[in-house]
Amino acid sequence: MSSIEAVTVPKWGMTMTEGKITQWMVGEGGPVTRGQEILEIETTKVTNVVEAAATGTLRRIVLNEGTTAPVGALAGVIADEAATPEEIDAFIASYADRLGSGDEGEGGASVPRTITVDGGTVNVLEAGPESDETVVLLHGFGGDLSTWLFNQSALAEKMRVVAVDLPGHGASSPIAGEDVFLKIVAAVEAAVDAVAPGKLHLVAHSFGGAVAAAIATNRPSRVGSLTLIAPIGLSRQMSRDFLVDFIAAERRRQLSSVLERLFADPSKITSDMVEGTLRFKRLEGVPEALSAIADTIADDSGQVQSIGGQLKDLPCPVTILWGDRDEIVPLPQSTEVPANARLRIIPDVGHMPQMEASSAVNDAILETFQRG
Amino acid sequence: MAQKSFRQALNEALHFEMGRDPRVIMMGEDLTGGAGANGVKDAWGGPFGVTRGLLDAFGPERIRDTPISEAAFIGAAAGAALTGLRPIAEIMFVDFAGVCLDQIMNQAAKFRYMFGGRAKTPLVIRATYGAGSRSGSQHTQALYPIFTHIPGLKVVIPSTPYDAKGLLLQAIRDDDPVIFLEHKMLYDTVGDVPDGAYTIPFGEARVARDGKDVLIIAIGRMVQVAEEAARKLASEGISAAIIDPRTTSPLDEDTLLDFTETIGRVVIVDEANPRCSVATDISALLADKCFDALKAPIKLVTAPHAPVPYAPNLEDAYIPSADAVVKAATSIVKR
Repeated sequence: MSSIEAVTVPKWGMTMTEGKITQWMVGEGGPVTRGQEILEIETTKVTNVVEAAATGTLRRIVLNEGTTAPVGALAGVIADEAATPEEIDAFIASYADRLGSGDEGEGGASVPRTITVDGGTVNVLEAGPESDETVVLLHGFGGDLSTWLFNQSALAEKMRVVAVDLPGHGASSPIAGEDVFLKIVAAVEAAVDAVAPGKLHLVAHSFGGAVAAAIATNRPSRVGSLTLIAPIGLSRQMSRDFLVDFIAAERRRQLSSVLERLFADPSKITSDMVEGTLRFKRLEGVPEALSAIADTIADDSGQVQSIGGQLKDLPCPVTILWGDRDEIVPLPQSTEVPANARLRIIPDVGHMPQMEASSAVNDAILETFQRG
Repeated sequence: MAQKSFRQALNEALHFEMGRDPRVIMMGEDLTGGAGANGVKDAWGGPFGVTRGLLDAFGPERIRDTPISEAAFIGAAAGAALTGLRPIAEIMFVDFAGVCLDQIMNQAAKFRYMFGGRAKTPLVIRATYGAGSRSGSQHTQALYPIFTHIPGLKVVIPSTPYDAKGLLLQAIRDDDPVIFLEHKMLYDTVGDVPDGAYTIPFGEARVARDGKDVLIIAIGRMVQVAEEAARKLASEGISAAIIDPRTTSPLDEDTLLDFTETIGRVVIVDEANPRCSVATDISALLADKCFDALKAPIKLVTAPHAPVPYAPNLEDAYIPSADAVVKAATSIVKR
């Protein structure tokens, strides 16, 4: 029996409606393997690559380079050798019928909403079908919920996913002063309780990893799994310069050069990303909040948080992902990784695997979720 | 994030800063109701509805109606700024700045320089500009090149509600005279604007869109025109970047040069008349500093060198269109 798979224009973030095909990395008739980068697409916000969802041959290119097409449009067809040209033509024809039916690429995305908690507000973006279990996405220091641009929509095709702006980031109000870390954990817990009453699958990046570990420790019966991406708190080493320079960067060019350190491939930085970061950095109260948060992350001796002890006692599955070219939070020693955690190292990726290797991260989240 | 109009964003900035700093005062024609309002206070929220609610919140001592005498109240505002207040003076239409040019050009703009840096003039002059509202040729000019030409003035031309709020807060907190120009056709545009206060530094352009094939530099309302053009260009397979300078003095030369160096093809869109304009000024800068990076001549899409017509069809034809931008961009991308 023949296997025919679609290559479609993906949805990267809630505002994406169309994309421009800028480059096919494989020619028609070329072999592809699952996970191979085959297509580059440009949007007004970001340029990224699409990975093959199946192994086979790129039998047909439907959208040529330079074409702009809506999210969900069929860009190409991967099939095995058993598929006849007639079957592929029929598949393409059936796909044209499906496009526009309203169920492609939406992922259930909605507009963000604000949850009032003690001491301020927390901004959340919900997506995906209603369910008893919710994936909660927590970004790192200096990020916001758009960090999950390549993950939330993709995961939301299968489950409910809530991305959170941590206090002092994005559109959430700042929290500063004494015990800032505990206040952040409490604010996130309150916001998550308001929007996700069932079991939680926490997915967290960098500083968000310490927040997730604290939530999992506080509520072990509610947390079904934990996927941590380059979390702080496993070793002492980190680039405190990044924190200092990020806080000091008040202009676009300055900030752009700081953000480049997050990626193995600095071309991933878009103007939209920089503008978005500046927007929350310029809000009154945010610089003070960021300074207070930075102090809870690292001092002159290195990292302040320690999550290894919390993780090792968790009953739920724990996966830790790390880019092998991370210059912000270096890969910990193997002895620093708790025995109950599965560590996966992703090659040629910096501190932002969820953006630089989104398919691998999405697969790991789903795999961890299924173990939970 | 809350969606707010350009008008609301400006109103929030005024409310916030007047509440924060008691030295901030406002003066201008019809701010508190004015002639023809039959004694009703704050009847219209100012001529364009931007100052609504300020009179109630801060009282007539800080929100002052003035006679139709721009020379007098701009001079008074400049003097008040010099002596410790932080006045915001509103000229209903920037076209009338001509009658108070001595106060702006020879006085306010020069105080810091002539007093050896020891005098501050924290004055904001807000004014409307721009064509499209059927207001006739004496109420629609885009006069920012005149102010940009004068050393000592800072010139701000926001294009989005978000920028309007952040740049106005920055303007009020600035210790130099700032000309803050609001396009009449932008007042009802809507965008994301945070509830809290924030400032945007002067001299930092906004990259409104990333692109690879052509760079469109657009000023004020022309950013909307550029965005429409970029969408049309995208459908033709041409990827256009858009830069909004946001302030013409100071001008973010670094960003303009960086993008020109990278892309090599430039279209400048400016509603002002073309001679001695911001468009020609930026064009000269790019030709001087990155000539070797240019792959094609710099194209200017501007209004014609004529007064703004009153006849609706002629006024519409006067304003640079997205199609004109598309044509200019296509001509240099496909040459």
